[in-house]
Amino acid sequence: MTSVPVPETAAPRPRLLRWAQVGYSKTFFSVIFLMIFLFPLYWMVVTALRPQSEIFAYPPHFLPLTLDWSYFRSVTFGNPQLLRYFSNSLIVGGGTTLFTLLLAAPAAFALAHLPLRGKNFLLLLSLSSLMFPVIMLATPLFVIFNQLGLTNSLFGLVLANTTVTLPFAITVLRPFFLGISHQLVEAALIDGTSTFGAFWRIILPLTLPGLLTTAIFTFLSSWGDLLLAVTLTTQDTYKPITAGIYSYIGSNVIRWNQVMSLSTIAMLPPMLITLVLQRYVVAGLTAGAVKE
Amino acid sequence: MAISSPLNSAQPARRRPIRLGNYLFILPAIVFLLLFMAYPIALNIQMSFKDVTASTLLVGAPWVGLKNYVDVIHNPAFGHTVGNTIVFTLASLVFQIAIGLALAVFYTRSFPGSTYMRGLYLLAWSIPIVVSGTVWRWLFDGESGVINYLLRSLHLAGDRIYWTSDANFSLAAVIVVNIWLGIPFNLSLLLAAMQGLPQEVYEAAEIDGATKWQQFRYVTLPLLRPALLSTLVLGLIYTIKVFDVVFITTAGGPLDSSQVVSTFAYKLVFQQYQFGQGAALLNMLFVLLLALAVLYVRSISREERS
Repeated sequence: MTSVPVPETAAPRPRLLRWAQVGYSKTFFSVIFLMIFLFPLYWMVVTALRPQSEIFAYPPHFLPLTLDWSYFRSVTFGNPQLLRYFSNSLIVGGGTTLFTLLLAAPAAFALAHLPLRGKNFLLLLSLSSLMFPVIMLATPLFVIFNQLGLTNSLFGLVLANTTVTLPFAITVLRPFFLGISHQLVEAALIDGTSTFGAFWRIILPLTLPGLLTTAIFTFLSSWGDLLLAVTLTTQDTYKPITAGIYSYIGSNVIRWNQVMSLSTIAMLPPMLITLVLQRYVVAGLTAGAVKE
Repeated sequence: MAISSPLNSAQPARRRPIRLGNYLFILPAIVFLLLFMAYPIALNIQMSFKDVTASTLLVGAPWVGLKNYVDVIHNPAFGHTVGNTIVFTLASLVFQIAIGLALAVFYTRSFPGSTYMRGLYLLAWSIPIVVSGTVWRWLFDGESGVINYLLRSLHLAGDRIYWTSDANFSLAAVIVVNIWLGIPFNLSLLLAAMQGLPQEVYEAAEIDGATKWQQFRYVTLPLLRPALLSTLVLGLIYTIKVFDVVFITTAGGPLDSSQVVSTFAYKLVFQQYQFGQGAALLNMLFVLLLALAVLYVRSISREERS
């Protein structure tokens, strides 16, 4: 008689029921945490879309009562200089990503699977170059680029950003290549094709998630770079959007709705990438940091 | 003889091209790093022993031995900078890890929407620091900033605080921004580590009647030690080399009150054109970071062995 309730509790509950049991209390708290944590980003967008008169209101209006798109439009889409900054950033970000992958993928593969002398030394070198502060490279690069005529050049910015992203890309990519079994690599190499052919046709397609993760990191890093941009460019024509924003906040009187409009635009590409490709971002964070 | 000798000589000849081919895979990366990384670092070391200023930048600057190092150390802002860097690093790390760990505990067990909401923290990490730094400057604004409004309406501050332009508060402001920036990184690392912990241990602890706090204190924390250690060392390295946050929020000011090593180097080089002194300062930082890097690699290899 007493055995009746037993099967009821032991039976696996449907997912929804289990959730209902846990309750949505955790979800509720999570939403509160996120509202606090992401408030700065909300405030940026709200400030960008506010009429001038409301920006300095005290106490501040936390809810956007009136939105003014016209100002936002005029300083962003209607502003040829901003479009220039934006396309410069796209060129530098895209160029750095391509160039970095081109150099890093074969190197990471070789460090994972091919017999090389001094492999450990190379690994240590790329790992320790992650630790360099960018300012340590920015100063001598400024001197070198001045002599080579590479300042005020998008190509120069791609080269400079690659010095930051390449060691990182090798470090993040290598574990993905290590994830491919050595037997498979051996089989691909013996199969009559050249080493490069095997790498290009068989190994590389298997590491697409790794390549995507690395591409995301490289793009985000070069998109967000400020230091190299402000040291290596002086003309507005060659500035990426980060340096553009910096030139607006350098002055003593800051027009907050203008700066927040530009910031909102600069935030959009990284934001979209992170939301859509979240899984790969987390994979890269943990693979690059903990495992290797 | 006639048959075996071509075979014998063919053996190494067939192997060598393969081995050389192996090096072709890493050659482009190595050449690039030599040109744009090793050479700049060598140049930095060279500049630190020369009297390089704006006028002697392109023509031969005279060698001055250790003068740049002595000058930097005796610079009135040097002591300030070192002290600020230590306070900035320690405060950032303690709060980043504590908050990151608390959130990781909160998000380990899934609940409706947990996966998606967890990912939203990454937004703060992914956007350019110029953007987040600028927003924080606006939040910290003395006249119409939200932070002053909150503090005053909660009666935590009587007067307006000019966070970014008051020497008493500038460092605190920069630290707050940096903690915010570091939370996603710490959360992701610690969460990944916690989800890798064996579930049976918790079930056993629960059967033994351990409370949630006891489970955290006596099961989670000890098991998490290696992950906490590597998060700490990585965080240490990333925090010491911080530039953008400080540069945007306060630019090291006012009066060097929030100056850290990298922004001080920027000021020496790009505002005062003291290339030699800037290089000397950066080389000292470099030695420190190299020591930390060795520490990190060691702690990781020890982990992998055990």
